This record gives sequence, structure tokens and C-alpha cells, in this order.
Amino acid sequence: MLLIVGAREPIDDLPPAGAGDRCRKDRLVGALSTGILADWGSPHGVTTGDRLVRSEWALNYYIALPLAAVVLGGIIWCVVRYRARPGENRRARQFQYHIPIEATYTIIPLILVAVIFFVAFNNENKLTHVSEHPGLVVNVQGFQWGWRFTYPNGHQELGSVATEPSINDESALPVLYLPAHETVQLDLVSDDVIHGFYVPAFLYQRDLIPGVKNQVDFNVTRTGKWIGECNELCGTYHAFMRFEVDAMPKSKFDAWYHAQKPNSITVAGANQQ
Amino acid sequence: MTLIQERPSGPGLYSEEAEPLTQIVPGPRPRGVVKFITSTDHKQIGLNYMVTAFTGFLVSGIMAELMRTQLAGPDNHVLTANAYNQLVTMHGTVMLFVFGGPFAFGLANYILPLQIGAPDMAFPRFNNLSYWLYLGGFLVMMSGFLTNNGAADFGWFSYAPLSEAIHTPGPGVDMWILGIALTGFSGIFTAVNVITTVFTLRAPGMVMFRMPIFVWNSMVTLFLVLLAFPVLTAALALLWCDRHLGTSFYNPVGGGQPMLWLNLFWFFGHPEVYILALPYFGVVTEVFATFSKKPVFGYKGMIAATLSIAGLSMGVWAHHLYTTGAVLLPFFAALSLLIAVPTGIKFFNWIGTMWQGVLTLNTAMLFAIGFLIIFLCGGITGVMLAQPPLDFQLHNTYFLVAHFHYVLLGTTVFGAFASIYYWFPKYTGRLLDERLGKLSFAIMFVATNLTYFPMHDLGLRGMPRRVFTYPANAGWTFLNQLATIGAYLLGIGVLFTVINVFLSFRRGEIAGDNPWDGQTLEWATSSPPPEHNFEILPPIRSERPLWDANHPDQLTEVGH
Repeated sequence: MLLIVGAREPIDDLPPAGAGDRCRKDRLVGALSTGILADWGSPHGVTTGDRLVRSEWALNYYIALPLAAVVLGGIIWCVVRYRARPGENRRARQFQYHIPIEATYTIIPLILVAVIFFVAFNNENKLTHVSEHPGLVVNVQGFQWGWRFTYPNGHQELGSVATEPSINDESALPVLYLPAHETVQLDLVSDDVIHGFYVPAFLYQRDLIPGVKNQVDFNVTRTGKWIGECNELCGTYHAFMRFEVDAMPKSKFDAWYHAQKPNSITVAGANQQ
Repeated sequence: MTLIQERPSGPGLYSEEAEPLTQIVPGPRPRGVVKFITSTDHKQIGLNYMVTAFTGFLVSGIMAELMRTQLAGPDNHVLTANAYNQLVTMHGTVMLFVFGGPFAFGLANYILPLQIGAPDMAFPRFNNLSYWLYLGGFLVMMSGFLTNNGAADFGWFSYAPLSEAIHTPGPGVDMWILGIALTGFSGIFTAVNVITTVFTLRAPGMVMFRMPIFVWNSMVTLFLVLLAFPVLTAALALLWCDRHLGTSFYNPVGGGQPMLWLNLFWFFGHPEVYILALPYFGVVTEVFATFSKKPVFGYKGMIAATLSIAGLSMGVWAHHLYTTGAVLLPFFAALSLLIAVPTGIKFFNWIGTMWQGVLTLNTAMLFAIGFLIIFLCGGITGVMLAQPPLDFQLHNTYFLVAHFHYVLLGTTVFGAFASIYYWFPKYTGRLLDERLGKLSFAIMFVATNLTYFPMHDLGLRGMPRRVFTYPANAGWTFLNQLATIGAYLLGIGVLFTVINVFLSFRRGEIAGDNPWDGQTLEWATSSPPPEHNFEILPPIRSERPLWDANHPDQLTEVGH
């Protein structure tokens, strides 16, 4: 069932399209061949965490699909095979316990759960790992309803619902500029209410909680632009609290970074007509 | 082996000269509204609960339809952002605190004393008080819509500091707090009442391991209520102090900790999920056994599974908080994943109950099977979300919305509907119409999947929950339209059952005392049962005394 859900690459549908500009036919073939056979339909991410999350998905499909098939098959078998037919004079067998069978369906799930747990434990440790020496540290502040990205030299990228012309217009979103192929550390903070930092293409999110300092590392492996969202209801214009991630090659990022004056502020949409 | 002791002889409880235990006051009995208001009969109160809860279900359902209308297209303007947020909050609040739990409390009120052969609940007037507190809570939280700022609009889990006065002023929030506190007290009182009833009022011979699974599950549920609701009530009191007395329990400006609210709330919130689900597990267990004409397979394993689900559910609250970065991930992941094991045992036991049975596929049974299939899907996505690496991707997206609707709609709604079709003859003495019922089931089953299955994909495509509008170019439009069509269909499916209940209440086929060849004691009395329930009880020597009395040649096989 879930195979059908994931048998696409949702990330590529997000505007603006990711760096992989494959044509539609390619995508279809990709979805059918690699999508189902290798990735089991899980969405593709654009960070180094992608491999970990997708392996987790694959494990789930290998365990969940056969298990679901067994249970669903059992239900359907009972309904079809044992339904009362008119004119039939059959009696139900009045058995109640069968310890070997009961023990089997207790112990096998326990083993499966243990396997899932250890894989998840391993992956979550890698995903939440925070580097001692990140290539860049950006301070990410969420507020009602917008984002402020502060770079080490004090430069701020700022944008809020006040400058967003409409939900369909992504031209005036605040932009989080990142270098690709480098470990970037984000310090997630909030001064008002709880927000969520969520970039669907990163397959990752983390909350911004007043009183909690959250740090996450990302290493983006592709250049491109993706939409990010607030993922925790934070008041009236929660739906408008979006931003854009722009991952650039290192040289391009350095050029951009050095062009920004220290402690300057760029307000999204401020210079647009 | 029987545990029934020899009856004492001579003058005393069983001699003919003994005073009757209850005195019937001569004269006209109260009827209609007066009966509704004053009755302390557990059956009347149970019906009051169920009718009120179902009203809440319909009201909350209308809110859901409004939200789905708003989301039918991108950049839609049917609702304002504030109206949408209020509906999001109140839909969840009413479904959980007014429909899901209290409908099960109503069932426990009506069915549980009958199933253990008791004349009434242990504290009948206390029972009446619980109902009125509950109704009061429902009305208070709903009247938040009448205040100038509208009802509460921060989501049903009310994350501080958004719920603090500085961010969400207005009396609607206070009415939300008070309303939940009232339904909470009602739940706590019901818990005290039901647990006392189970412990003290079982009929002779009805030992704990002969109680029907529905009784076991209701009792365990109400133990969870006793553990969880006081925590919520205390947390709400602190929130109220923050809002009105200038304290700073959750307000970071004054040194408070939002994480405190998150932990306290979910310490209640996760057991609450099982408070909503376990009674309906009990309902479908009864339905499967009755309509397969078999005993519950793995009866004791079923009870052990219920107890371990309840126990584990107290230790998994922080799996709602993986993405906060402030909880110990491996501990909560391990316990959350473990819950899959007893839940799996239940699934296999349900299949085992049907195995080699003679299945009557009437509406009650169909709803129970629908419950199995929908809950199976919700259970699988639950295991996925219990793994932090996947939760980091899926948390608070529509994938999560799909997951918990599969779980909660699968259990509470399909379970409640199965209970309506199963026990309606007991409540009224009349059968519900099978054709309307099957139509209602078919529409609801298809519509549920049409509504919620596309939401998995929406979540994978990155649509966050609780957004009142979304952009046209995100690739979310078609899936949202499917969900909206499904939601309308679901409403139509529910309406067929409502119509069915109204028609059959007066004109349904006469059911008789035991229309389903039932196994448990509620079918051993008239439909509807008289005051104080039983004239005579069959001997209770297994967990299905009525079946033993009616089918002495088909007793439960011993062995294994």
C-alpha cells in the first residue's frame, strides 16, 4: 500500500525544481526501476542524511509489507472461507488457546521490533550528531511569522508574512544561503512561541523552542533551491511562515558572503516592485 | 473447577422471608425529560452519555467538513486563518474529550454492569454527577465560539507559550481550559465508579478471569484515566494561573519552561490515545466472538496484551517530542516500538477468534472488520513514526495526520459504530435496518480511505499540518481534492446511520432478548433491561455464561 504512496519523488515537485532537472519520462522510469526496487519509494533527500533515512524506510518496507500481507490475508481468508452460507449446517470449533501459536506471534514481533530499534538507534545517532568544527554556523530565529538568518559576520537575511504578497508567491521569502558539500550548523532559537524548522527536501526537522537551544548539522549534497516551512502551529499566519533554502557551490557562496557587509540586514521583498 | 460456594441456609439473604434488597416505590415512574434529568439508572445515564457524545461527533464532524472545504483548493478563502485555527483546535478537542472517551464511558455505563451481572453502578448518584459535569464541559468549551475573540485557536495540545495570555488573549481559551477540566473530572469520577463496580458488584461466579474482554478493557482504560487526567487537570490549572495570576510556569519571559507543558500535556496525551482505543478494542472483541460463534481466542493473552499496552502507554509520551531535541530518544523509541507487540497479539487473537468460526457478516461485524483493516494501516504507520529517523522527516506533516486519523477514526468511529449496530437491540428492543447499515458501512469504509490515504503522500510531499491554505504550485492540490471528496462522502455515510437510528427507534424490527445468539450476560435479560437488570442469572462457569446455558453441547474445548 505504502509503496504506491512513495513511488514518486515528491521533492522534485517542490518549487523551484531541484538541481536534478530530469525529464518526465526519466522520472517515471526512475520511479519504476530504482524507485521501487532499490528505494522502495521513499522520497529522496538532498543532504548526507538521505542515505540513512532511506535505509530506514527500506527496512520498514521489508518488515511492514509482509506483516501487513499476513494480517490482511488472515482477515480476508476468515471472511471469505468461514462466512455463514445459507443452508449450511456447519458448527464452529470451540477452541480457545493454542500456546505454541500464541508464543510464535509474540516472539517474532519482539525480534522484529528489536531489529528496527537497533537500526533506528544507529541512524538517529548519526542524524542528530553535531560537529565540533562545522564549516559555517548560522543562527536561525523563528518569530511570529517569519525568519531571521544571522551569519557569523552579523549579516541578517530577514523576511516575514508582512512582505509576502500571497501564498502563491515565493519571490519574497527570506532566503537561507548555504554552501553545498560542507557541514553547516544551524542554531535554532525562538523568542516568542514554538516554531518548527522543516525543509522537506532535507527529510529533517527540528523545533525552535524558547528556552531550548537546538543545534542541527546539515551537509547538502546538491546545489539548488528548496522551500522550508514552519512546522508547528504558531498562530494566525503559521501557513505563511515559509523560507527558501539556496545551496550554492562553495566558491559562489563565499563570493556572496564576502559581498555582505557585517551587521547588514537584507529584508526579503524590500527592493521589489 | 467452580468457585461458586454453597449458599448459606436458614434465615438470611436467600430465605424467602428476607427483605427485598431494593424497594420499588409505587406510582408512576418518571419519563421523558424528567427521566433524562433525574435518573440514576446506569442504563439511562449510559444512553445520555452516548447521545451527547454522538452529538459532539456530529458537531465536530461539521467542523472537519468546513476545514476540508477550505483546503479543497489552493489559496482558498472560505475560512479566515483565525476561523480555521479555531476549527482545528475545537475539532480535535471535541472529538477527543467529548466523543471518543465519553462514548466509551457511556458504553461502560450501559453494558459493563450488565456483563458482570450487576444491578447498577456502585455509585448511581455520583454517576449522574459525572454526566452533568461532562455535559457542562461540552457546553462550556463550545460556547467559546460565542466570545468576542472566538474559541481557542492554538491546536488541541495547546502548546505554551502560544496559549499564554500575551499570545492568545480572550475568554475563549479560558472556556477551553474549564471545559476540558470539567470533562476531565467527569472522566475521573466515572473511573472511580466503574472500577469500584467491577471490583465489588460482580455476580456470584463472575471471577476476574471470567469477565468479558469489554469489561477488562473498560476497567484498564479507566485506570489509565485515573493516572492521566489528574495530570492534565493540574497542568491546565497552572496554565490558568499563568494567564490570570501572573505566574510563569510555562512562560519563558518569566523564567518558565515551555518544555514543562509539553511533557505534562503528553504525559496525559499519550495514555489518552489508549483511553480512546482500548474500550473499542473490547467492543470489537465482543462482536468478533459473537458473530463467529466462538470463544475469544487467547482470552488470557488478550488481557495480558491490554495490560501491557496500558503499562507501556504511560512511558511513551515523549515520542510526540522527538523533534524538540530535549528528550531521550532511545528510551522513548524502544518503549513506543514495544507497544507494537501486544497490539500485534490482539490482531492475531482477533483473527484466531474468527478462524474456523461461522461468521455472520452483518453490519456490526462489517464495522468491526473495517476497524481491523483501517487500524492495521494506522498501526504500521505508527511503527514508522515511532522511529526517530523517520519521525524527523514526517512529524507534523500530513503523514502524521493520516496516521492518527487511521488510528483514531479506525478505532473510535468504527468501534463506536460497531457498538451501535451490536447493542442497539439491547437499548431499544428493536433491530437497526441492515440494508441502510451496510450502505452506511460501505460508504464510510471507502470514504475513510479516500480521505486519509492521500494524506500520507501529502506528508511525504512536505505539506505541514494545521496550515489554513497552501500554494498552487506545490503539487498538493489534487491530493487535497481527493481528501475533501472523501470527507464529504464520509459525512454522507455517517448520515445514513443517523437516519437508520431515527427510523429504527420507532419502526425497527422487534429484536427479542437475544437476537445475536449472544454469549455474555447482557443478552440474558430483556431488551431493554428492566430496572436493576436481572430477574435471574444463568450459572457463571466460564467467560460466556449465556452461551454455555444455550449451547450445552458446544462448550469451550479444553486443552492447549
